[in-house]
Amino acid sequence: MNKSKRPLTRKIRIFLQTFGYHVLSALLGVSLLLPFVWMVLTSLKSLTEVDAPGWFPATPRWSNYLEVFSQIPYARFYANSLVVAGWVTLLQVTTSALAAFSFSRLRWPGRDRIFVAYLATMMLPGLVMMVPNYQVMIRIGLVDSLAGLILPAAFSAFGTFLLRQFMLSIPTSLDEAAEIDGASKWRLFWDIILPLTRPGLITLTVFTFIGNYNSFFWPIVMLRSIDNYTLPVGMLYFDSVSGTTTHLLMAAATMSVLPMIFIFFLVQKTLVSGIQEGAVKG
Amino acid sequence: MKPSSVSFRALVVGLAFLLPNILGFLTFTLAPLFVSLAMAFTNWDLRLHNMFNGGEIKFVGLANFQRLLTLPDFWQYFGNTLFLMLGIPFSIAASLLTALLLSHQPKSPRRQAIPIILAGTGLSAGCGLLVAAGTAGSAFSLLIAGLFTLMFLGGASVGTGFYRTIYYLPNFTAGVATFLLWKKMYDPQTGPVNAAIQPALDRISALVTSAPSHSGTTLSWLMAGMSAVILFVGMRLVAARHAFDRTDYRPHRHQAAKRSVWRAGFVLAIAAGVFLLSRETPGFFAAAGGLKTPNWLTDYHWAKPALMIMGFWASIGSNNMLLYLAALGNVPKELQEAASIDGAGPLQRFVSITWPQLAPVTFFIIIMSVISGLQGGFEMARTMTQGGPGGATTTLSYFVFSEGFTTGRLGYASAIAWTLFAFVFAVTLLNWKFGNRAANE
Repeated sequence: MNKSKRPLTRKIRIFLQTFGYHVLSALLGVSLLLPFVWMVLTSLKSLTEVDAPGWFPATPRWSNYLEVFSQIPYARFYANSLVVAGWVTLLQVTTSALAAFSFSRLRWPGRDRIFVAYLATMMLPGLVMMVPNYQVMIRIGLVDSLAGLILPAAFSAFGTFLLRQFMLSIPTSLDEAAEIDGASKWRLFWDIILPLTRPGLITLTVFTFIGNYNSFFWPIVMLRSIDNYTLPVGMLYFDSVSGTTTHLLMAAATMSVLPMIFIFFLVQKTLVSGIQEGAVKG
Repeated sequence: MKPSSVSFRALVVGLAFLLPNILGFLTFTLAPLFVSLAMAFTNWDLRLHNMFNGGEIKFVGLANFQRLLTLPDFWQYFGNTLFLMLGIPFSIAASLLTALLLSHQPKSPRRQAIPIILAGTGLSAGCGLLVAAGTAGSAFSLLIAGLFTLMFLGGASVGTGFYRTIYYLPNFTAGVATFLLWKKMYDPQTGPVNAAIQPALDRISALVTSAPSHSGTTLSWLMAGMSAVILFVGMRLVAARHAFDRTDYRPHRHQAAKRSVWRAGFVLAIAAGVFLLSRETPGFFAAAGGLKTPNWLTDYHWAKPALMIMGFWASIGSNNMLLYLAALGNVPKELQEAASIDGAGPLQRFVSITWPQLAPVTFFIIIMSVISGLQGGFEMARTMTQGGPGGATTTLSYFVFSEGFTTGRLGYASAIAWTLFAFVFAVTLLNWKFGNRAANE
């Protein structure tokens, strides 16, 4: 209560508070990161060291990482995952942005009724649709192909909803100004609304990409041949054939986590505000 | 232009923007939705109805649902799903605590950064030296000290954003890779989890069994008495504080008497529990030959807790933490300060100001967690336990997978999926009905 009585004690108190805050936060960080540390350390062990107690390899074996590629078609899994995630992201963000624009900035009869239908399906478990979708994929011959993974994910009600939330927060006076200037709806979309939706677009892009990079249920249903496996399915396959070579499995796991960490550090600021805004408005 | 042609034009433009999206919506969501609903009432089974064996697919009415609700598997898997969802409150609480921690970064002057960094480095260097000099000087402890230093330096020089990024990583990267990582960590023989727990368990059981057996009962009496005294004093303190906070409020006399009876009963029950527990435990330990580490994923009773622990790790720094962080930033500072001037402690300020302000976010988080919890569990279980042992980790979504894509009973699988949806729907309705009220009060 007597805060400004003695400046020196106050300084010391703030110093101790700051110090305690950092100690606590750092400890939590250490405990959350430990599994990753174990993963990386184990990936550098030799086969005999894997079963021994202790976290450290005698000498780090970086060659384990290369050996993964000779054990399984890991590069192929990587490429498949990147192709699927890349295409899905491109298509989904495009279709979602277009639809979100239509739902938020254009007025046409029946618009709100269709949007309610979109919203209603968001609550449905994806599982409900998977059983019939799989039968459709069998009929049109897309089972065990990457296209069969990309097509159903090319649109999303959630993405549409998210971007619509972002677009609704843009003032409508911009639309009117553009109309007075004689801009077409496409110009309005492309030159005005889309640039202003940037945080939302980045959020959706990252989540779609990571979600599909990690996607597991649909690929494991759809994929048959090893050459078509994406990373998650490939990792599971490696786990089933690798036996006791935990060090190689961990090397593969490290390599599959790394791109995500990289992407995350790249965009985390925008991402964090995107998540916070999207949900607060929702 | 005539108004009708204007609205027609608007319709065309609107639909043109919507077209690519609605094509996907119709093909992969709306059409399958109705097909799936219809399938749930048929006996479509890939083993009976395929290109070699063209049996007729028949409508069987509610037979699938009847079968579902009468067979024990469904209830077991439903129970598993609910059991795994017991982790949700812990995750939410941890996210909130983490957000609170992060939002409480003291506003220290910029020039304090260097002394802070020096102090942190000193602390971890000291710990490291102590460990290295002591008997337990293992590489592992040095690793922890080093990591701590790194964290500390990063946090002190970059700020809160650094910690937030680190905490968010387990959630952001969650997937088959991290599930396999945990599967290996849970390995009973070679995994680090049991390697870390075993020494502690050994020490505890040695301590318990080494207590002289003849004094066992006396010791138990002592422990029970002590716990009763501690509880009693603690409750008096809390009550005194409470009374101090509310000087205008005096409980009625018989109300107060009733309350003290309840309190006494509570204290007695706890003391009795402590007595029994402390008297019986040594014998139990001796009979079991000490405390053993669990076999985690291959043990029927430990598989679910193992998955929950991993889920907890992955959900501390989740979107929920970010949402709480944003919401905490929106709590008006004036309210906090006003309460602080009125003499409210940190705990009381949290209970009566921060927590009510967070109610809408908490409500949103609970709904989302429950919905995803009901549908979840497949990826973890498929990667780590394959639904086992003995179906202990098979959730409803796993059940749909195995019926729809492994066994091939499409009608039955659809019925399960729709039952799952019914639960999700019911929970959402309940949440809206009661949660909205709670959030608005």
